[in-house]
Amino acid sequence: MNETSAPEAPSGETQHRETQWPRWEVLKQDAPARPHQAVGSVHATDPEHALVTARTLFARRPSAVSMWVVPDHAILARTQEQDERGEPLPDTAEGEAQPYVVARKVNHKRSMTFVDVVGTVTATSPARALDLARATFPEPPALAWWVFPDAAVTRTDDTPETVESWFAPAKDKTYRQQSSYGVVGTHASERRGRRAAAPAGEQSGGEHD
Amino acid sequence: MIQDQILTETPEQIAAFEARIARGEKIEPGDWMPAEYRRQLIRMIGQHAHSEYVGMLPEGAWITRAPSLKRKMILIAKVQDEAGHGQYLYHAAETLGATREDMMDGLLTRRAKYSSIFNYPSLTWADVGMIGWLVDGAAIKNQTMLAGCSYGPYSRAMVRICSEETFHHKQGKEMILAYARGTATQRRMAQDALDRWWWPSLMMLGPHDADSTNSGVLTRWGVKLKSNDEVRQEFMDEHVPELLDAGLTIPDPDMIKDEAGHWRHGPIDWTEFWAVVKGERGLGAERLGARRAAHDDGAWVREAMEAHAARRVTAQAAD
Repeated sequence: MNETSAPEAPSGETQHRETQWPRWEVLKQDAPARPHQAVGSVHATDPEHALVTARTLFARRPSAVSMWVVPDHAILARTQEQDERGEPLPDTAEGEAQPYVVARKVNHKRSMTFVDVVGTVTATSPARALDLARATFPEPPALAWWVFPDAAVTRTDDTPETVESWFAPAKDKTYRQQSSYGVVGTHASERRGRRAAAPAGEQSGGEHD
Repeated sequence: MIQDQILTETPEQIAAFEARIARGEKIEPGDWMPAEYRRQLIRMIGQHAHSEYVGMLPEGAWITRAPSLKRKMILIAKVQDEAGHGQYLYHAAETLGATREDMMDGLLTRRAKYSSIFNYPSLTWADVGMIGWLVDGAAIKNQTMLAGCSYGPYSRAMVRICSEETFHHKQGKEMILAYARGTATQRRMAQDALDRWWWPSLMMLGPHDADSTNSGVLTRWGVKLKSNDEVRQEFMDEHVPELLDAGLTIPDPDMIKDEAGHWRHGPIDWTEFWAVVKGERGLGAERLGARRAAHDDGAWVREAMEAHAARRVTAQAAD
């Protein structure tokens, strides 16, 4: 697949990859009923390295039960704007029919994540997989699509022991959570309307330094 | 390449792009964008990423000297977050065609800038708290604005960063409030840290609007949704009353609260700011030296990883 098919890579820009490690897109699932969502990327030498790096980067805080990594060159990315502009799709070779994962973005809301996985289609090329994705998941209209071969995905093990050892430790690190500090000082809603500065109120949490 | 595109950009293309921004759409990788939008974003996001990266240094130095296990765990988590934030941002810049390798090279060779706030020394433990409260507090004001920006990957990185930076801000504020009502020595440390970090925190939000050279096009294309002075005013209005409540003294004899209820700072000494930016003052050389040493010291790890990957490929080929 050529450069223009790389996810989130601009068309027409030369990417000079000299010695840096390959780039992997990371998809994270927050709970069993939630979709895998594209959270960002890592550079790594192999899929296991990519998964370990992805966990360090994207699961420092709780709410992850599964992570996937996909080499960026395996992803066919397409936006609504590219469709409207009629930008040609990159040439993709026909091959054996295989399952492709489909992910899409459907709104412009402020978000931490890009595309969400919606399902799979079976196709003989990325371009055909994209066509099938459009037909299979027509509503709501997608602003951006990703399709990539299921075989290109490396996943964290979903056995309870692995999920526990990979993702549970973050749950005990409550000091990383802003919520564990409660309201520090005076809440802004109490401050509004006050004319003069007053002494600080009771603080939440003890001090043991 | 960028110059070539500028020559072929049509008014219709620019108008369609600006209409998308006006409709509140996010610009995504692959979408058409003016070359100048791409160039400015790469510059800005790269600079932002480098700031997160160098930002590990002033506080990282205090990890081994934290006064309690609790504070040490918090500080380790915070410094780890700064590394992560740098990574989120390098990712966002890569979607525009920059490479991580080239950006890192830009930082290490001084071709690229980072926020000069990190070239101030952190002299006492109280600085760790004051950096969290003021420096991260100022950064959050800026980042909250950028979370609404028109470029999708930058906006998403900012939403993620803001949610994590709120922890940084709160732990710093909690620490300083504790010291401000602690022993005489603790109160002195808190005041000393405020005296040194107050003005740099105001200045880190950038030059006054009248002197800001990059703002025009960034505002027009929905990257900067507020001006430097507007963000600085938000920072003042939140932090001044809280610092005063804590019984601390803000080192600005000319500061007033105006009739509309806004806290107004006195004149800012920008000569100091520019001296630090240019490296005439502050720890620029030390910070870059530390980054370069870390990069060089990590070379054997990178080589080992590559050797491992190469052997894996060879083993697979042999299967």
